[in-house]
Amino acid sequence: MKNDHNNNNNNSAEHSKDTTVGILDSRFNQTLRNVQGLLKGRNIPGKILLSQRVESPDYTSLSSPTYIRSSSYSETGTSDQTSETEEVHSTSKPFGIPNDNKLKISASNVESSSEEVRKSSMGARATDSARVMKFTKVLSETMVKLEKLREFSWSGVPDYMRPTVWRLLLGYAPPNSDRREGVLKRKRLEYLDCVSQYYDIPDTERSDDEINMLRQIAVDCPRTVPEVSFFQQQQVQKSLERILYTWAIRHPASGYVQGINDLVTPFLVVFLSEYLEGGIDNWSMSDLSSDEISNIEADCYWCLSKLLDGMQDHYTFAQPGIQRLVFKLKELVRRIDDPASNHMEEQGLEFLQFAFRWFNCLLIREIPFHLVTRLWDTYLAEGDALPDFLVYISASFLLTWSDKLQKLDFQEMVMFLQHLPTKNWTQQELEMVLSRAFMWHSMFNNSPSHLAN
Amino acid sequence: MGAYRADEDYDYLFKVVLIGDSGVGKSNLLSRFTKNEFSLESKSTIGVEFATRSIRVDDKVLKAQIWDTAGQERYRAITSAYYRGAVGALLVYDVTRHVTFENVERWLKELRDHTDANIVVMLVGNKADLRHLRAVSTEETTNFAEREKTFFMETSALESLNVESAFTEVLTQIYHVVSKKALEIGDDPAALPKGQTINVGSRDDASAVKKDGCCSA
Repeated sequence: MKNDHNNNNNNSAEHSKDTTVGILDSRFNQTLRNVQGLLKGRNIPGKILLSQRVESPDYTSLSSPTYIRSSSYSETGTSDQTSETEEVHSTSKPFGIPNDNKLKISASNVESSSEEVRKSSMGARATDSARVMKFTKVLSETMVKLEKLREFSWSGVPDYMRPTVWRLLLGYAPPNSDRREGVLKRKRLEYLDCVSQYYDIPDTERSDDEINMLRQIAVDCPRTVPEVSFFQQQQVQKSLERILYTWAIRHPASGYVQGINDLVTPFLVVFLSEYLEGGIDNWSMSDLSSDEISNIEADCYWCLSKLLDGMQDHYTFAQPGIQRLVFKLKELVRRIDDPASNHMEEQGLEFLQFAFRWFNCLLIREIPFHLVTRLWDTYLAEGDALPDFLVYISASFLLTWSDKLQKLDFQEMVMFLQHLPTKNWTQQELEMVLSRAFMWHSMFNNSPSHLAN
Repeated sequence: MGAYRADEDYDYLFKVVLIGDSGVGKSNLLSRFTKNEFSLESKSTIGVEFATRSIRVDDKVLKAQIWDTAGQERYRAITSAYYRGAVGALLVYDVTRHVTFENVERWLKELRDHTDANIVVMLVGNKADLRHLRAVSTEETTNFAEREKTFFMETSALESLNVESAFTEVLTQIYHVVSKKALEIGDDPAALPKGQTINVGSRDDASAVKKDGCCSA
């Protein structure tokens, strides 16, 4: 615990370093039939995995006009603060910081930060409709107050408002409602121009690097969220390809990096939900006109651009931004949970061995897909502070299994961390991760110096 | 993992890496070998993934610690860190995509830049089940493999064709290298402690293996 922060920073460069066949329902059978068709006449040994997404209710809610509430803030109500504090203590038993500091923290920092919690949970504690009204009110103003919107969005955005809210939070749509439509129209046309200029051209007009990049994107699009059948539709994969290639060409410093394909998917489902009825399982791209598809793609493209603008060095050569976050995560975990941290170190576990993917794909790969948009509400509410906050979310996520980890050896740990048992997670578990991240962020980020000792 | 559950009692622990272009089937080769599973819905590997399996050769238990790496070139800065300490490599290409074979040369160079000269390399032409789509002939690779002095095998992770053999061959060859080395060293008992990681390489093993290092070349 006596780590000098600056010293450790110097090391960061060196640190470069269910088998479930689901329950068979009709859709699954259909997929299976397709696959069998593909493999017809062949005798395939062993297990062929074709997992199934866990539940559909959450998908159905994607475009449903009723807000399904499940913020843990709201549900724990007034007992929020105590239960959160307990949670911190129990997960981090010995805490790794002197006792008086601990007291100080819970007396002051948590107090002040819980102001915010209290503020946002005030509304959340009320009825769903009150919560929806709160959003409606903010969104109806001629000049949307982004700070308010961020504060409300942090604990989750009502599904049907999400497209509008995300566009605003990312700074893609202007807060001034008079200008909004015009700006979006212009941006969507600009995207269309880019596509015809960069994507809709013969390969002979592309450089070797561009051909390679397009090939890489084409290899990855069919492997994007394969557990959700909607993403197997060819038109979806084509849209992904156009968005990714256009983005990559316009961001030559990084170009396309595997995993960025995952990052488009939350935008895609959210913006599609404005046009398609029902749950994602019933969506069909062929119900959309080409103008609609183009608008949706444009929104995805711009939102992806805005999101990644704040993380430019995460995808450049050697991905220094991600390495930095991995290093910070290791340091944070050491402060929060000494025993877990020691155990991992003794076993020789490198954080890079598991956390690289977490940061590279912003945790999309680690939780069920139907929870991703909720997670992203918080991400987008964090705005520029997202990379730092991601470290806290990741620490909170990792230490969900603090006790479990301490019982595993090196190999078991690596394998466990690469296939975390989150398959049956609901919003509740996710909210717990986020709440704890919020707590730790308030405690540790506001007082880095006294934690250093 | 059932019958494939890693045996804690092993005589040798070998670190093996799986490398090659994106989408050639590295992850499915690994899951086929370690779990006898094949996934039609596999995602791209980000960074590295890891699995183990033990096999028996002669009267010895060889435990393979296999690191599966991301195929995209951009990731090499990250993944090459995992080459350190590797004593075996399966360099995979897709027999239906010639470009993935063309890139084998670059991968080989990459490997040789980061590992010891004694590393056992096997060229693996995967997706051999897609006969009608074949774009790389067996002969073409055989010549290449002879020139580069690597082993070579065609596999199908889907049909479980040659997967077992490819991994077993690599592990057996490593075992031979190590036993030969033991002979050269003579009967110095300290030279080759049992049940420890074998480093053919000269650098420190960055793979964070429990019991660290032993015989360095």
